[in-house]
Amino acid sequence: MDTLCIEGLTKKFGAHTVLDEISFTVPEHSVFGFLGQNGAGKTTTMKLILGLLKADGGQIRVLGEPVTYGQTKTNRLVGYLPDVPEFYGYMKPAEYLKLCGEIAGLSKKEIARRSEELLHLVGLEEARKKISGFSRGMKQRLGITQALLTRPKLLICDEPTSALDPVGRRELLNILHQVREQTTVLFSTHILSDAEQICDRIAVLHQGNLALCGELSRIKAQKSANALFVSFASAADVSELTASPYLLPYCSQIEVQGSCLTIRSTDIKPVQQAVLSALYGKGLFPLKMEIQEPTLEGIFMEAIQ
Amino acid sequence: MNDYIEYLPFLIPLIILEIALALTALVHVLRHPHYRFGNRVLWVLVVMFIQILGPVVYFAFGRGEE
Amino acid sequence: MNGFIAFTKKELCESLRTYKLIILGIVFLLLGIMSPLTAKLMPELIGSFLPEGMTMSIAEPTAMDSWMQFFKNVPQIGLVVTVILFSAMISGELSRGTLVNVLTKGLCRSSVILAKFLAALLTFTAAYVLCFAACLGYTVLYWHDPVSLLPLAVFALWAFGILLIASLLLGGVLFRSGYGALLFTGGFTVCLFLLNFFPQVQKFSPLRLAADNVSLLSGELAASDFAIPFVICGLLLIVFLWAAVSLFNRKQI
Repeated sequence: MDTLCIEGLTKKFGAHTVLDEISFTVPEHSVFGFLGQNGAGKTTTMKLILGLLKADGGQIRVLGEPVTYGQTKTNRLVGYLPDVPEFYGYMKPAEYLKLCGEIAGLSKKEIARRSEELLHLVGLEEARKKISGFSRGMKQRLGITQALLTRPKLLICDEPTSALDPVGRRELLNILHQVREQTTVLFSTHILSDAEQICDRIAVLHQGNLALCGELSRIKAQKSANALFVSFASAADVSELTASPYLLPYCSQIEVQGSCLTIRSTDIKPVQQAVLSALYGKGLFPLKMEIQEPTLEGIFMEAIQ
Repeated sequence: MNDYIEYLPFLIPLIILEIALALTALVHVLRHPHYRFGNRVLWVLVVMFIQILGPVVYFAFGRGEE
Repeated sequence: MNGFIAFTKKELCESLRTYKLIILGIVFLLLGIMSPLTAKLMPELIGSFLPEGMTMSIAEPTAMDSWMQFFKNVPQIGLVVTVILFSAMISGELSRGTLVNVLTKGLCRSSVILAKFLAALLTFTAAYVLCFAACLGYTVLYWHDPVSLLPLAVFALWAFGILLIASLLLGGVLFRSGYGALLFTGGFTVCLFLLNFFPQVQKFSPLRLAADNVSLLSGELAASDFAIPFVICGLLLIVFLWAAVSLFNRKQI
């Protein structure tokens, strides 16, 4: 069964439509990257899943159970890390986790065990001071601890890496990668390399619609054709190459930039063959020749055009 | 002189409580450098010299985020 | 229920660690000591204001005077301080977003309001009991004349304080800001005062619970005169809490 299923979700703030009938599903044990520019509606979607905002249309199901606004029963299945997690500053981490655990109805023993385990996972086991003295990165890590405390079936993280330094980011991505065995992760980000590293599925939100959605590997395979990149010492070589009859069938796909050229194609092998024949025929020697894989950035930019 | 002795049972706890209140607030003002408005000097004066209401106003409105 | 208890504990912990409890306790204790002191000092104070050579016979203070001061100081200073200290109960959490974590842990929204109410009620009650105990102690020590219906008068003022706390919660949910909650409670109190200009309303107004306590002690009013105000106060309390809970249920956080 899909962990999360969203159908025709619509949300308006006044006259402004933030989400316009978006639909997608998140299968179990996947890491789902939710991409989009700032203000695209990522946080709004997440708050709708958590029942913190009221939807203007559509339905959200968590493990088959519909999400209701206000009294949100499905939240027992969900762990949430807000973009800027806020805590009660006068508490210590262990006290805060105890409060969360008691609210969720965990036993005393379970709370103590889980707290210790998770604080160790995020490297906060030595932090015994009050939360008010925590740095932004420490708060983020405590945030993930409280989100995972109840062993949620779905972990929702809102821009978990945006406030962290490179080391902290690396650590957080590792944690998300580690927990995928136990849970399903939905996380939003505008940092594409983060998504590329750990996601197996992505959705791109743009102007209230899903510009793209699906498995990352499949999107990469079908979206934005592969390209062959060739560079020469001089621009004259480039024009000589493009004049070759071998390249005639591909002339519409050739892009020339100074002393380099790029040929885009869904099927790269015949292109390679043609280019090599042309080079051989003309007696040209390139400086460099390589096949360019599509990047998430390229896909993203293409999707939001 | 007799008059004062008669009031001592009132005055001693009153003075102790007033000082406790002012000191609690003063320690907080000095240990937390961020205020929602005003500055340290202002709040030190307020909690020291405005009886009862000074510390209350500080804790209700003046203290910054934890 | 788990959530309610846990959140009430959190609120009490907050009262303690953000100094609310200690400030409120000290202020009320001060009021409890000041009231009999002022009663005792009154003749001398008046005497010192009289011009030289003029004499005036001033009655010796009694236990009644001490309680008159109590029922003047507690509403005028004690309740004001209580309302100020609790004004940010809801708005503080909403503006900082601290509720997001606990609500997504499955805490019932009504539990948030009711736990805050219970914790504020306990804090206020503790301070009020201190104040009453101090005043009672000094009064019994210095004067021996009996005062009738004192428990009812003291309970009435307590009930009014609780009503104000409930109105603060409703104000906080309505306006999302501490000042908004303060204005709401202030406005509510001003309305009660304005309505009191009509003598017919006075008999029903819950304001009587905080304003006419001395009349009860002096015998001008009977205990039965407080029955309707008590009922109205209870009804208003329920309405305020119900409104706060149902509005909060619909609030986008």
